[in-house]
Amino acid sequence: MSDDQPSGDTDRQTDGGTTSRPSGDDADVLDAVENEDPEALEQHPIEWDEAENNRKAPEERLSVSSTPEKADDRKLVTGEAKYTADFAGQFPDLAHAAVRRSDIAHGRVTDIDTSAAEAMDGVYAVLTPDSEAVPDAKYTSAGQSYPEPSPWDMHVLMEHVRYVGDPVAAVAAVDAETADAAVDAIEVEYEEYEPVFDPEAAFDADAPRLFDDEEVDNEIVGHDYERNRMASIGGSLGDVEATFDRADTTVHESEWETVRQSHANLEPHTSLVYTDEDDRHVLVTSTQVPNHTRRQVAHLFDVPIRDVRVTKPAVGGGFGGKQAMVTEPIPMALSLATDRPVVYEASRDEEFGAMRSRHPMHVRAKTAVTDDGDLEAVQIEALSNTGAYGSHGMTVAGNVGSKPLPLYSKVPNIDFAADVVHTNTPQTGAMRGYGAPQGTLALEGHLDEVAREMGFDPIEFRQDHYMESGDLDEIAGMMGGEGAERRIRSCGLDECVERGKEAIGWDEGDQPDEDHLHRGLGMALSAQGTGVAGDELGAAQVMMNEDGSFHLHVGGVDIGTGADTAFVQIAAEVLGCAEDDIVVKAADTDVTPFDYGAYASSTTYISGMAVKKAAEDAKERILEWGAKLLDEPPGDLDTADGTVYSEASGEAVTLEDVGYEAAYGDEDREHILGKGTHCTEESPPPFATQFADVTVDERTGEFEVNQLAVAVDCGVAINPGMATGQIEGANHMSYEMAVCDGITFDDEGRSEVSTYDDYDFPTAGESPPIEAILVETHEPTGPFGAKSVAEVPTNPVPPALSNAVRDAVGVRITDMPITAEKIRANLGGEA
Amino acid sequence: MPVELTVNGSELTLDDPERDLASALRAAGHTEVKCGCDGGDCGASKVLIDGETEMACDTTVADAAGATVSTVAALGTQSDLHPIQQSFVDHFAVQCGFCIPGMIVEAKSLLEENPDPTEAEVREAIDDNVCRCTGYQKPVEAILDAADRVAGSDPPVATDGGTAGGGVDE
Repeated sequence: MSDDQPSGDTDRQTDGGTTSRPSGDDADVLDAVENEDPEALEQHPIEWDEAENNRKAPEERLSVSSTPEKADDRKLVTGEAKYTADFAGQFPDLAHAAVRRSDIAHGRVTDIDTSAAEAMDGVYAVLTPDSEAVPDAKYTSAGQSYPEPSPWDMHVLMEHVRYVGDPVAAVAAVDAETADAAVDAIEVEYEEYEPVFDPEAAFDADAPRLFDDEEVDNEIVGHDYERNRMASIGGSLGDVEATFDRADTTVHESEWETVRQSHANLEPHTSLVYTDEDDRHVLVTSTQVPNHTRRQVAHLFDVPIRDVRVTKPAVGGGFGGKQAMVTEPIPMALSLATDRPVVYEASRDEEFGAMRSRHPMHVRAKTAVTDDGDLEAVQIEALSNTGAYGSHGMTVAGNVGSKPLPLYSKVPNIDFAADVVHTNTPQTGAMRGYGAPQGTLALEGHLDEVAREMGFDPIEFRQDHYMESGDLDEIAGMMGGEGAERRIRSCGLDECVERGKEAIGWDEGDQPDEDHLHRGLGMALSAQGTGVAGDELGAAQVMMNEDGSFHLHVGGVDIGTGADTAFVQIAAEVLGCAEDDIVVKAADTDVTPFDYGAYASSTTYISGMAVKKAAEDAKERILEWGAKLLDEPPGDLDTADGTVYSEASGEAVTLEDVGYEAAYGDEDREHILGKGTHCTEESPPPFATQFADVTVDERTGEFEVNQLAVAVDCGVAINPGMATGQIEGANHMSYEMAVCDGITFDDEGRSEVSTYDDYDFPTAGESPPIEAILVETHEPTGPFGAKSVAEVPTNPVPPALSNAVRDAVGVRITDMPITAEKIRANLGGEA
Repeated sequence: MPVELTVNGSELTLDDPERDLASALRAAGHTEVKCGCDGGDCGASKVLIDGETEMACDTTVADAAGATVSTVAALGTQSDLHPIQQSFVDHFAVQCGFCIPGMIVEAKSLLEENPDPTEAEVREAIDDNVCRCTGYQKPVEAILDAADRVAGSDPPVATDGGTAGGGVDE
């Protein structure tokens, strides 16, 4: 993918920096170097040419390691923050949208009678696939980079419907109730086709086919629509098959099953679209990807990119579900048809049945291990159910292997393959973890079982093979375009293991007094990436005001994570001002610099580095003006506490002095502006060790999770208060994957989940305490040593809990969720 | 027939008695009342009606006739937060914030009835408040700490509403 990278002044690393060595044991680093191909060493140097200011001891840090309030919290706790739907009151002629969705799982719309709906008072427009305002073009909803790595297999409104919930008509009306009533009044007739719901069955030669070849453009590698396969991806190192045949190894196999998890973002997908007085299309929308959405809307509706403005107000959670142009095209088309602003707010029923969800997968793990405990080969094969359409299908499947497998970078033979198949179920998409949870369950459950069967300590068995600082990770690059070979320059796994063991009481192992209760402990590792290797871009601008304050404009997208606050702290660290002196404006495509958006754990690392560069650019000018005022060379000056000061002379001027002088000086004047743009080939993994403490009742199979503890190496945590919040939230979402059924369907493909109550995920009263532990390492490629934090704890609870149950009562649960019934059945009781 | 009620200390007249109270309040400008589900299922729209916590989406305008309604906006202001709000900020208990107005209203109600709750009691109180971001860990810590803050404040804020004269009228 590197060929697609923008060039120009997007320098990969700053010049003139100091050389930094990876953290970790020097002997390990030397071992790694000795056995390495010189070309790889040159391409992926162990020593990173790091800017001098990037590595600071904790006591030297001005802002990044402190815990100022999250910048938007005061307006959030008072209810004053504005989410998309809260803007409705500003538009007196606003129309409300509703969508008529397919009643059947597979078929073709043969007739739509809209006359009754159109005749209703207060109905402004009813659109069907043939309507002029509805584009003919095929597209993907996936909000990814360009060229888009997902197939164009959808229309805004569908004639060939492929799941219960596919959109077939849309209404704009005076209010939501009228729009809903009009939708119900639309008569739709279908020619029904045979549906297929099971991914294995969909793969059969005689299975009903979801797509004819001409129904898809921009097809993805490995597609075979005759077999309902939208993509196939894989890669290998060494020779696993030969290793499986070796006499000195034992081969182990296991199979794992994951659920269709819902993002269940509390703010529904909501988009408000209007055409402004300059005839430009404005989308106020709850999105993670404003710039991608702008491009996608422009392409789909065939309007110039410059005539589309996407702004992101407060977003009520995304988790990947809003890394997609899910709702936007409907109000856009309705706005064009009615010449009114139109808002579309998905119902909760639509959220569960017609938005996006996590790809359910069947994953097979196979390993070869010597009697001495050497792990010689690992093979992972996944069958991913992408549902009716292929958004994020290939890339999520790739992450099943490319995220967890590098944990075991010392294993010489690795093989990964994934098939992605269509079924007549709602389409899936990006979700926090992005394939890594499915792969992590299989790998970390499997290795635990191998260790227990062969009599090895499950932690030591992992430690004998896991990644260390200095390693060249070839696994992440073995699938070609989906990732890249990389050097590991920060790895805190050893400390994560130790801190996690201590938190959970690993070496204590007290048992309950009652004979029928058994306590078990389980652990699992997790790794992620930090941004998409070689396929990211972020940019920022810092503008100084005359009073010494700043406006920070950044394309990065805060969807509730606190990213805006992290940006402010990074800028404050560079500029030497208070966080309060920086006003952040983010994610408005008319105003803020370009950014790929909030996904793939990229925001702090990519957009944050762009902020750092912009602040450094501004600082250079500040020091020039300070030099003028202090009559000292700029090289002798630095900033801190809102001043420009000289270590040499002890003199200082305030940033306000500099601001007024630059803006209103007698001779020369300048608006102090700094700009930064950042892309990189690097994607350093953050790491996590998950520990779970469970008590199982052997009579009933019922279990109680006493505690979850998760230790995370995210490099230097920017704002530890926010970082632990990310970890806890991610870990809860991971816990849900272990104990919740997810979205299920009846025999006709109808979602059995339409409310939160149906979804039945762990409430406050049902959630175990989660202890989040930050383990600091220094990642030299990240801003002030940071790498990502918010996805890596999403992966490891299902295997850790499966391992804990195995430890407690000897039962291995491989198909999620873990339930009392399954445990009881495995204990010999009735299921 | 128009329905009159008091919201955050001000008289409000709502036109459609059959409408759910959450939508009606939002249309009247009270966008601090959030709607995260199709009704009665997520807790985001919780308000105090005559001192009792209710999901406004699960109540009709007619049912609130003559009532005194308090939303989260009746607590503190941005420059003078109520101790519960301040505790949520200090504990990083807020991420996307969409659940927070309902959760803070529930916390206020809890602490008035039970000024010194256990962790289990806090979890029970917010059991029908869906939060998708935090895993509930930090909100629970924030409410437990808020109990100490409210108990330690002088005058006790839990009985007279917000510290900023927001006008919780009880």
